[in-house]
Amino acid sequence: MTFSLARPSTIVEALRLLADDTEGPTAPLAGGTDLLLDLDDGRSTARRLVSLDKLPWKTLAWDGPRLNVGATLPLARLGSDATVRARLPGLSEGVDAVGSLALRHRATLGGNLGRAAPASDLLPILLAVDATVRLVGTAGRRELPVARFLRGSRQVDLAKDELIESVSIPEARLSTYVWQRVRPANDVSQVGVAVARSGSSASWRLALGGVLPVPTRIPEAEVHLTEERPRPEDVELAANAAATHARFVTDKRASEAYRRRLVATLVRRAVARAQIPPGER
Amino acid sequence: MTSEVALTVNGAAPRRLAVPDSERLLDTLRWRLGLKGTKEGCRTGDCGACTVLVDGETTLSCLTLTHEVQDRAVTTVEGIAEDPEGRRVLAAFAAEDALQCGYCTPGFVVSLTGIRKELGASAPDSAVIEALQGNLCRCTGYLAIVRAVARIGNGNP
Amino acid sequence: MTRSDAALKLRGGAEYGIDLEAPGMVHAVLVPAPVAAGALRSVDLAAARRAPGVVAAIGPADLAALLPHGGDPDRPVFPSTRILYRNQPVAAVAAETLAEARAAARLVRVDVEATPPLVDIEDRYPDWPTGLASDAPGVVAHVHARHGNLDAAFASAEFVHREVYRTSGIEHVALEPHACLAEVRDGHWRVRTTTQTPFGAREDAAEILGIPAESLEVEGTWVGGGFGSKGAAFLEPYALVLAAASGRPVRLAFGYRDEFFQGRSTLPAVIRLETSVRDGTITGRRVRLLLDTGSSLPGRDFATGYAIGFLLGPYRIPAFEVEGYAIQTNKPPFGPHRAPFAPQCVFAIDSHTDGLARRLGVDPVEFRLRHVWQAGDRTAFGQEVGPFGAIAGLERARTTVAEWRRTLPPGTGIGVGVGFWSTSTGAGGEVRLRLTPAELVIEQAEHEIGSGSIVRGLVAVAERLFGLPTERLRVVTTSTARDPYDSGVFGSRTVAALGRAIEAAGTAMLARLAERAKAKGTATLTVQDGKLAVGIGARSIPLSELLSAEELRDGLVVEGRHYGRSGAIDPSRVVEGSFYAYTDFTAAVHVAAVTVDRETGSVKVLRYAAFQDVGTTIDAGMFRGQVEGGVVMGLGSALTEETLWDPDGRMRNPGLLDYRIPTIAEVPEIEAVAIEGFPGAGPFGMKGLGEPPIIPVPAAVANAVADATGARVLELPLTPERVARALMVD
Repeated sequence: MTFSLARPSTIVEALRLLADDTEGPTAPLAGGTDLLLDLDDGRSTARRLVSLDKLPWKTLAWDGPRLNVGATLPLARLGSDATVRARLPGLSEGVDAVGSLALRHRATLGGNLGRAAPASDLLPILLAVDATVRLVGTAGRRELPVARFLRGSRQVDLAKDELIESVSIPEARLSTYVWQRVRPANDVSQVGVAVARSGSSASWRLALGGVLPVPTRIPEAEVHLTEERPRPEDVELAANAAATHARFVTDKRASEAYRRRLVATLVRRAVARAQIPPGER
Repeated sequence: MTSEVALTVNGAAPRRLAVPDSERLLDTLRWRLGLKGTKEGCRTGDCGACTVLVDGETTLSCLTLTHEVQDRAVTTVEGIAEDPEGRRVLAAFAAEDALQCGYCTPGFVVSLTGIRKELGASAPDSAVIEALQGNLCRCTGYLAIVRAVARIGNGNP
Repeated sequence: MTRSDAALKLRGGAEYGIDLEAPGMVHAVLVPAPVAAGALRSVDLAAARRAPGVVAAIGPADLAALLPHGGDPDRPVFPSTRILYRNQPVAAVAAETLAEARAAARLVRVDVEATPPLVDIEDRYPDWPTGLASDAPGVVAHVHARHGNLDAAFASAEFVHREVYRTSGIEHVALEPHACLAEVRDGHWRVRTTTQTPFGAREDAAEILGIPAESLEVEGTWVGGGFGSKGAAFLEPYALVLAAASGRPVRLAFGYRDEFFQGRSTLPAVIRLETSVRDGTITGRRVRLLLDTGSSLPGRDFATGYAIGFLLGPYRIPAFEVEGYAIQTNKPPFGPHRAPFAPQCVFAIDSHTDGLARRLGVDPVEFRLRHVWQAGDRTAFGQEVGPFGAIAGLERARTTVAEWRRTLPPGTGIGVGVGFWSTSTGAGGEVRLRLTPAELVIEQAEHEIGSGSIVRGLVAVAERLFGLPTERLRVVTTSTARDPYDSGVFGSRTVAALGRAIEAAGTAMLARLAERAKAKGTATLTVQDGKLAVGIGARSIPLSELLSAEELRDGLVVEGRHYGRSGAIDPSRVVEGSFYAYTDFTAAVHVAAVTVDRETGSVKVLRYAAFQDVGTTIDAGMFRGQVEGGVVMGLGSALTEETLWDPDGRMRNPGLLDYRIPTIAEVPEIEAVAIEGFPGAGPFGMKGLGEPPIIPVPAAVANAVADATGARVLELPLTPERVARALMVD
């Protein structure tokens, strides 16, 4: 499908364009690695795209114990940052799991959040570290946890005249993201498991991908993971709780039964792996 | 909607072209600029046959809007030999016969050139090969390409 | 040795079908059937014809006016009554731009009275067809053969090993999509296309269009991967008929998804094997095969008997009965895929053989050595086995297995697979040699598809035949209007068959030169003072003394042909249908080493060795390229590749994300070893190599998984989920 493209240089202009549907349905364009496919297949009806390419959001900065990632920073730049890998290894591992290097040169964290795909390899770790999304709109700025921002499969709490500006991610040296696929490279994860222990949290947080409707935390599993080095029997309880409480379906990538079995395995592996220093994993 | 875009391709002076807003860089290169070395494969970002460099970074031209590369330097396989790293890649691929039908080959050549620039000359072969996993080849079984990567890593292309 | 096409291809200079354009060219789009099965009521093109940019829109009703003789009634360009598969082309549109053609195609109203499609052969036959096969619904081909006293073998057996295997549909995934450019002018039909068989495409397209083959010219391009996908006519008839309708050059190119939607590859099968054993020896086998042939049209249903042969070899079986049923489904047509259906059959038979050996407590390699064919044996169909390198290969495999058992970590599974094949040298071909003082040119019809068979293989044969350096030899291909006939790049035959044609032409040329020199001795070609000359005994005669002025300018032209013979089977063993006789016997013995993640079911291939029965190695680089490429393609069928279908006939994974071919990250170290000394029908006793290396791969991997885990996976591919499920059962 054909569409028109606007490439605003300011946030104000971008928001104004987004709010204006007179040229037909309008959608923001970040890396486009997902949206352009939807347009080709007619899954998106957008007739005007507002490119965020010129906005000053390709940023990466630490603010004390929090990492701020600009919405349109290419994932490749996040993935190659040595400090991020040391202080937030689970995030780096999530980035590594996304597509190929060439794809990561265009794909962005903001785009991944905005598209909210059930099989996203980035949303589980953002949930597990309790990241927050910073939004900017014509009505002003607001910030909310990723867990509240995600509302359903490909549904997010984002107004028509609002954009993701950045993501604020607390440091979590104890964090990891593990996944299972039919083909190890360049595939969609059948199940992904992120675990992290960070900041003020008293226990580990655990989030799953490959579940319906969107990646989600599993509090029933987290309650068993209070110790910094959880005892094997607690890990087992967490693994079983995750397998029991996740909402899985059978689709072309895996059956529900296999996914349940994988979750338990991957939870055990994730908790063990998170305790290994990033350089030695 | 069609509007003008200035394209800088393979080091030539910027060229102004009227291009539809929704056109992909792949189609502009192939059909407006006649640079058909960039190959059309899946058009879904899964095969790497259309890889070009944008400001030196490997980029899937099937998933890139032409207007988004305004003011950026695009390098296609036709211009890769202008780059010393590109020449090393070409020499290594030739020495190892790292091609068969040749359809994925331009994508591999451009991709490996960009990866070597991005990861640096001292990057281990394993990292280079991992970064190549977005380029699919159905003929060679990849091992000749792995040997070409090793040949460059040994400084002997 | 650097390939002569490397410089061009590395710089992006090779022109493929998809790159073709011509002045005044228009773009074509095919209109897909909206359902998988039903009665076609009407195709309404009125709105499409009025759409901007449209120069032609044609459907079933328009064919009669465009095709002087109406075309082939059994293979109409567009169906007029029944829809056989979803996305079956029912009409076509050509417009000034591709976007306009696409927009117009969406305006075509296709009215179909949908009926429930048959998608899964086991929905129709959860068990096997009973009674007369000709009465069984959906059975489009039935083959049946037997020999010896199977009942006695089963009655006296210590046990009968019974298993049911299932194999998946797979796709070629040549990276280059199909594309062509057609023109029709003054009764001359011409198409430039990416094809493995310029003459085959010409004959096929001419037959479909109902025009004389001589009025159609096919000109090939570089082929961006074939694997069987670019054999018969495919896009060419649509493009040609649109060119006839529009009077313009028509470009028709598939998008990548169309490659999946239009299939023409391997489809699923169910294989039941029962093997009787006594005193550690196989005494009899009963085989049943249900083969999904998709919507295969008349004349194109795949030879079920050909497939079944692989289930009865390469082992001695005193008594057998086989029955195979080809079942028509509402999927795209079955078609050839690199060693058509052999990897699937060998997966079943060599998993079965491996399990049989383990059940007997016999080493699987020893068990195979006890039964495998050698020269002089008879196949199940009574054909005498020619020189065959399976025993030599198995002996090498035994050494490799022992070494890997010592050196690889505990828990590693090691498996062997034995495949066999026959080079299709029975399919004929011709070449034209053109000798000038500067070079010897080989004119022939085939285009390079990647293997190197044209740019390197034919040159290597000529180097050896004539003792000339590479730079004095050149292969030239133009079009079917000028090139000598050849049957195509398929069946691993190209170098073997065309090599023999070069041999024949060369022998005739040298004889003619000797005659002209009035010499008794044998003539050879040599290089003298920078020019080609004729050597006879100690004499060297410049070509200027032997060729006319015209020949010195245009070359001395001598043609050569090779139409090989196929073997014969014993007709008394055939009850119904036809079975395939082999030309020569080619073995492939492979060894795979794997680790299995017992919790997730993931399989990682650590090491791989391939012992290939080649007769003679013609070129070491081509040998390595074909073995590595074939093995890795086989690893895809073994581990990750399968087509998935919804019950309504919609393909669920038509793209390279969910149809998973191997990436560079999964490839193991591969040791490629040529087994020489068992000559085949090609020049210097060479055997074909394009297909054999893919054949035993799924079997070797499955046997390695069984070795690692004790669990036998009975279905391809061995995805982590299937392996995990097999581990849970055991």
